Amino acid sequence: MVAPAPPDAGLAATYAAPASAAGRVAVRVEHLTKRFPARRDWPALLRHPARAEHVTVMDDVSCAVRAGEFFGLLGPNGAGKTTLFRMLTASVTPDAGVATVHGLDVARQAREVRQLVGSVMSNERSLYWRLSARENLRLYAALQRIGGRAADQRIAELLHLVGLESAGDRMVGQYSSGMRQRLLIARALLPRPAVLLLDEPTRSLDPISARDLRAFLRHELAARQECTILLATHDRVEAMELCDRVAVLDRGRLLAIGTARELERHYGDDRYALWTTRPDHPGLAELLARGGTGERRPPVPDADGWTCVHLTIPGGRAAAARALDRLTCAGVPVAGFERVELPLAELLERVVGGGGAA
Amino acid sequence: MTAAWALVRANWLTARTYRLSSVFAFLAVLVPVVPIYLAANAMQPLMAGVIRSEAEQYFAYVLVGTIAYSFVSVSVGSLSASVGGSIGTGTLEALLGTRTGVPTILAGMAGYGLLWTTARALVLLGAGWMLGMTVSWERLPAALLVLGLIVAVHVPFGVMAAAMMLAFRTAGPLPRGVIVASTLLGGVYYPAHVAPSWIERVAVLVPLGYGARALRRVLLEGQPLAAVLPDLAVLALGAAVLLAASGYAFAAALRYARRRGTLGQY
Repeated sequence: MVAPAPPDAGLAATYAAPASAAGRVAVRVEHLTKRFPARRDWPALLRHPARAEHVTVMDDVSCAVRAGEFFGLLGPNGAGKTTLFRMLTASVTPDAGVATVHGLDVARQAREVRQLVGSVMSNERSLYWRLSARENLRLYAALQRIGGRAADQRIAELLHLVGLESAGDRMVGQYSSGMRQRLLIARALLPRPAVLLLDEPTRSLDPISARDLRAFLRHELAARQECTILLATHDRVEAMELCDRVAVLDRGRLLAIGTARELERHYGDDRYALWTTRPDHPGLAELLARGGTGERRPPVPDADGWTCVHLTIPGGRAAAARALDRLTCAGVPVAGFERVELPLAELLERVVGGGGAA
Repeated sequence: MTAAWALVRANWLTARTYRLSSVFAFLAVLVPVVPIYLAANAMQPLMAGVIRSEAEQYFAYVLVGTIAYSFVSVSVGSLSASVGGSIGTGTLEALLGTRTGVPTILAGMAGYGLLWTTARALVLLGAGWMLGMTVSWERLPAALLVLGLIVAVHVPFGVMAAAMMLAFRTAGPLPRGVIVASTLLGGVYYPAHVAPSWIERVAVLVPLGYGARALRRVLLEGQPLAAVLPDLAVLALGAAVLLAASGYAFAAALRYARRRGTLGQY
C-alpha cells in the first residue's frame, strides 16, 4: 500500500514496516532533518548581520530500505534526493535524526559507512580527464585499499561490465559524456559496495546504453550480487520497472512510499485512451461533464479519421467500464479504449499536489 | 602510503600529458640561474661581508636561498590551490568518499608539487655547481633533512589555507602573507640582520630564516647537522605546533563544510 507522508509522527511506524516484513535493513533514516543557511544578498546582510535564515532541505524524513532492495527516489528538482544521498555518504551532516547503513550511524561512524557505500553522484569533472579510464580506476583502487593483482583484476572486470574494455586506455577527456558516466559507475563499484547510491545514472546515456545499464543494475548488481541500490531518477522506466519500491520527495518531505504499481494505482490509475471518429460527440461531452477530463492527442485525426482522446475517469476499472458502456450506448463510435500510463511528470504533480495524502 | 603515492602518480601522469608545458617548466628552472649568477657576481664585493657567517659566494647564498624559498612557496600555496580546484570539479568529494583518511589524501595532493620542487632544486644545485658554486655533496642527505623540516614547518600554513578554502572558498591572506614575509625576511637574498633592528626582531618569527641558514651551513660550508641543531630544533618545534594546529583547523573546516553542505557544491 502506498503510505502517504505522515502528518504527525504517528504514522512513522508505517515506514519501518518493510524492514520487519522481510530481511535485514540496509539503510534506515529516522526523522532526518537538514536545514541549510539561506544565501542572503549584501543589503540584507548589512541590515541584519546576525540574523540567520535557513532553507529546509530535509524535513523529518523516515524510511527503511531492505538489504538487496532496489529503491527509487522520485521528486522534482530540489526535492532533497541528492541531499539524502549526501547524508548517507557522510558528505552532509544531518541537523536532527539518524541515518544508518547496515546499522552504522553515518554521522558517528562515517569512515566505516564509507566502506559500505558506493555512490555515483559526482559530475564527470571529478574524473581525472587527462588520465585513461584504467589509470582513473587504478588511482581509486589504491584509495579504496585494493592493491596489486586484485586491483588489476577488478579494474578489468569493471571495464568489461560497463562496456569500456576497448576504450580503457584512452584519455577520459576524449570520452563521450555517456562513457564518462559509465566510468563513474565503474569507479563506484570498485570496492564492491553493499549499498550503491545512484543519482540519475542514465542521464547522459544513449537509449541503448541506458537500457544495458538498467539491465546490469537489475540483474547483475541487485539480483546476483544482492547489492542494495538507491536510485534517484526522473525516468519513468527506471522508477516503475527497476525499483522494488519508490519514495516521492518534495521540498524535503517524504510524500509517498510504496511499490511503483501501488503508487501508480493510487495516484495515476484513471487515465484512458479512447479512439473515436467523433471527439465532439455529445455523449463524450456528457461524460466529461460528469467529472472526467479529456484531451485530444493528437489534436487532429489520423488518416482514417480516428482521434485519440485521453480521458481521466476516476473510480477505477469499474467506473471506466461503466463510462465505456455509456459512451457506446450514446452512439459514440469507439475503435479502441485502454488504460494508459500516466507520464511521470503528471504522476509526480499529483503526488506533490495532493501533498501525498491518500 | 600507497594511496598517497597513487595520488602523486596520478598528478604526475596528468602533468606529463601537458608536453609543451613540461618543457617550459623545465626551462623555467634553468633560465633564471644565469641572471642570478651574473647579478650575484656583480654584487659579490658588496655582500661578501654581510653573508660571511653563511656563505662565501653571494651567488651560492642566493641560489640556496632560492631553493629553500621554492619549498616554502610550494608548501604554502599548492595545497590550497589543489583543494580549491578539486572542490570545483567534485574530485575532493569523491576522494573523501573513499576509505583513505584525510591526512593521506592531503599528503597525496601536496606530494607531486613537493617532489617536482625537489627535482628542480637538484637541477638548480647542479647548475650552480657547474657555474662554480662550492657544494658539499657529502652533506646532501643532511640538506634533504633540513629541507624536510622547512617543508614540515610550512605545510601547516598550506593546510590552514586549504581549510580556509574548504570553508570559505578563499585561502585568505595567509599564504600570501607567509610568502611575502619569507621573501623579505626569510634570508633569501640578504640576511635579516642587515635590516633595521625592529625588522630583525620580526624576522625571528619567520621560519625560513632558520631553515635557509641551516641549509647554507650544511650544503655550502659542509657543517654537520650538530652544528645547526638550534635552527633545526626551532623548525621541529614550530612544525609540531603548527601541524597540530593546522590538523585541527582542517578538521574543523571539514565539519563546517559538511554541516553547511558545501563540500559537494561545485
